[in-house]
Amino acid sequence: MDRKDKIIVENLNLFYGETQALKNIALTVPEKAVTALIGPSGCGKSTFLRCINRMNDFIASCRITGKILIDENDIYSPETDPIELRRKVGMVFQRPNPFPMSIYDNVAYGPRLHGVKDKGKLDEIVEKSLKGSALWDEVKDKLHKPATALSGGQQQRLCIARAIAVEPEVILMDEPTSALDPMATARVEELVRMLSSSYTVVIVTHNMQQAARVSDITVFFLMGEMIEYGPTQQIFTSPKDRRTEDYITGRFG
Amino acid sequence: MGNTLRGDKAPQRIIQTISIIGVAIMLFILFFLVKESIPILKEVSIFQLLFGMEWYPTYDPPDYGMFPLIVGSLSVTLAASILAVPLSIMLAVFISEICPRKLKELLKPVIEILGFFPSVVLGFIGMVVLAPWMIQHLEAYSGLNLLNAAFLMGIMIIPTVTSLAEDSLASIPKDLRDASYALGATRLETITKVVLPAALPGILQAVLLGVMRAIGETMVVLMAAGGAAIIPLSLTDPVRPLTSTIASEMGETPVGSIHYHALFFAGLLLLLLTLGLNLLAMFIERRARRLRA
Amino acid sequence: MNTRLIKDKIATGILWASMALVCFILAGIILFLVSKGWSAISWSFLTEPPRNQMTEGGIFTPLVGTLQLIVVSMAFAFPVGVFTAVYLVEYAKDDIFTRLLRLAVRSLAGVPSVVYGLFGLSFFVIFLKIGASLLSAGLTLGCLALPVIVGASESALMAVPQDYRDASYAMGATRWQTIRKVVLPAAFPSIITGAILSVGRVAGETAPIIFTGAAFFAPNIAKSLFDQVMALPYHILVLATAGTNIDKTRPIQYGTTLVLLALVLGITLIGVIWRAHLRGRNQSLK
Repeated sequence: MDRKDKIIVENLNLFYGETQALKNIALTVPEKAVTALIGPSGCGKSTFLRCINRMNDFIASCRITGKILIDENDIYSPETDPIELRRKVGMVFQRPNPFPMSIYDNVAYGPRLHGVKDKGKLDEIVEKSLKGSALWDEVKDKLHKPATALSGGQQQRLCIARAIAVEPEVILMDEPTSALDPMATARVEELVRMLSSSYTVVIVTHNMQQAARVSDITVFFLMGEMIEYGPTQQIFTSPKDRRTEDYITGRFG
Repeated sequence: MGNTLRGDKAPQRIIQTISIIGVAIMLFILFFLVKESIPILKEVSIFQLLFGMEWYPTYDPPDYGMFPLIVGSLSVTLAASILAVPLSIMLAVFISEICPRKLKELLKPVIEILGFFPSVVLGFIGMVVLAPWMIQHLEAYSGLNLLNAAFLMGIMIIPTVTSLAEDSLASIPKDLRDASYALGATRLETITKVVLPAALPGILQAVLLGVMRAIGETMVVLMAAGGAAIIPLSLTDPVRPLTSTIASEMGETPVGSIHYHALFFAGLLLLLLTLGLNLLAMFIERRARRLRA
Repeated sequence: MNTRLIKDKIATGILWASMALVCFILAGIILFLVSKGWSAISWSFLTEPPRNQMTEGGIFTPLVGTLQLIVVSMAFAFPVGVFTAVYLVEYAKDDIFTRLLRLAVRSLAGVPSVVYGLFGLSFFVIFLKIGASLLSAGLTLGCLALPVIVGASESALMAVPQDYRDASYAMGATRWQTIRKVVLPAAFPSIITGAILSVGRVAGETAPIIFTGAAFFAPNIAKSLFDQVMALPYHILVLATAGTNIDKTRPIQYGTTLVLLALVLGITLIGVIWRAHLRGRNQSLK
């Protein structure tokens, strides 16, 4: 695998007040591939994910040292505007969280924020994004119905459409299927595979089969540390670290 | 962590500036009441103001003794509290512990709506219903008296005390009740031995805020308390609390006169009393929160 | 049956009785006023001004005056109250200013209405030289409504799920864009119900307006912000305590009281019902 490295993390430490939640994380995320973060709950994988688009900025007691480079730019340098960053790095959350607006307005929210006013252009973006999230055929006749009327799985795909509507380069997904039933989960997983042809995807999951199914690279976290990193195939068939093996074979977590 | 969101500072500044208005109003209220009260202190000693027995502001020479007015305020408040506080707490216990859910959904808004009764309407009820009844049945000299005002003021504070006390009871975790029932306690025992003690700070706060509301209540006492600036010796004596004194005399006194400043001093007294009760309630709330944490 | 159970039954009975007593008082007052005031109310009572030294005619002038006072007070208190709540919920850090602001709002909620009247008199009427007028009285009522609106808007904003904010920020929205496009629209219905409830409070207040702009009698409705206004609550006070012929005007007094009560409770009821509806909807969303 010789894809370009999209994200490079160097010596990342994160503290909540006195407690250290992430210890010395160093890894690289390849471009246009799916990288899965796995590990038992509380291991810091979601915290790490939220470092990549600086969502931890809102937590007052949170302090970060080290570097995260996206396209060789340090996202924590004073020159980086977090607004600009989040436009480039989209996010999909654990629970589907559509805004209490119509389906159309949900998808158009981001483009409008960033100054797209032209109706034709917006229509085009909305259609393209909904097609991109494999939702278009289900909702094309009810674009102006409230988004909350959709099923959970549809809502999550809407959130993905909303994320890709601003044409990000990276999409972060924080356990995107944990609130969904198996059928809906399968559709979202299929979508994740599809997205990886044009986006760099980083997905946090507590479901190892999911990581095995969707990802190219797998990273194993334990208690705030990165234990193992490698191609998914290798992590699941011949892990190097004993702790990884224990986790994957279900001995703890 | 510094928030470096660019172009986002201006709205924050504007909103913060607008929110200063709230602080400004509170400070202005304090400032203007103090400012308008000061001239009276140059004419009459503070001791004379607070403990003087005679309130004859329009006589020549005038008397500005507010003791009967202060006693008037406190006596109506006390009588109203004695009537309304136990009833309110019982009602709160009823709503939180006993009431069937359907009835609760109806009762809570009804109590809330009672809290919106304009006080002038209650004062009017006092004049046309309670006053004649008192003359007839209690052989009162005047139907407009301390007891009449206390009844009405009691009605005014029931919603305040009930809803705050109910909030406090409702915040007691169900586990606590279950633990008591599991030991074989009856509902009454659970309420009196577990739920009420646990909710006590909140209930105390509810009572303080009810008392605060009562002391500041104006229209009810203006219309139904009778308006005599005397120390009441019986429940059917008329009284003249601070609030009704201000409301009835301010309109007829020239701006800037000594009487005008004396009324501001009465207002300042009211403000300090209610602020004190409010701060005490906040203090209890904060302590209770710290104890729980 | 043992004594513990008997005690329990008795106590339960007493608590039911306390509920019945309060409902009885409430129903009694309303029924009494409806039965006494109903006959005085007619279309002409609502649309004609008081006549012949207020012993005849209707209540058009004070009714309109009360509505004008509501508009003026809300024009001030609504935006200020909502933005203050936005500051407290969305921006405030735990610093001196925030603590001072919270303290001020809590204190304002406890200031007696007659003290608001004194403040309005010394500040708006005299210091700012606005004079006793619709504007002074409306602003005084606005100050009184401010803590109510702040409180209601705060709870409305806090009820907006954090998910919405996260989703918006993750799309690269600024804090203000998130507030304006997501948080405020989501909270708006609840904010409005809070404002409706504060209107109910404002409409029934008397003490703050007596010396700041309420007129004993005015021949016409106020044409400018600087005219004095008649107001329903003050009109009741005047008729009942200082009218030229108190006994003769009893029917008018009952009628006016009933109209005020219907106005205030009507507004409040709309607020309470709408709020219950919103809560029900939010529940079903979860």
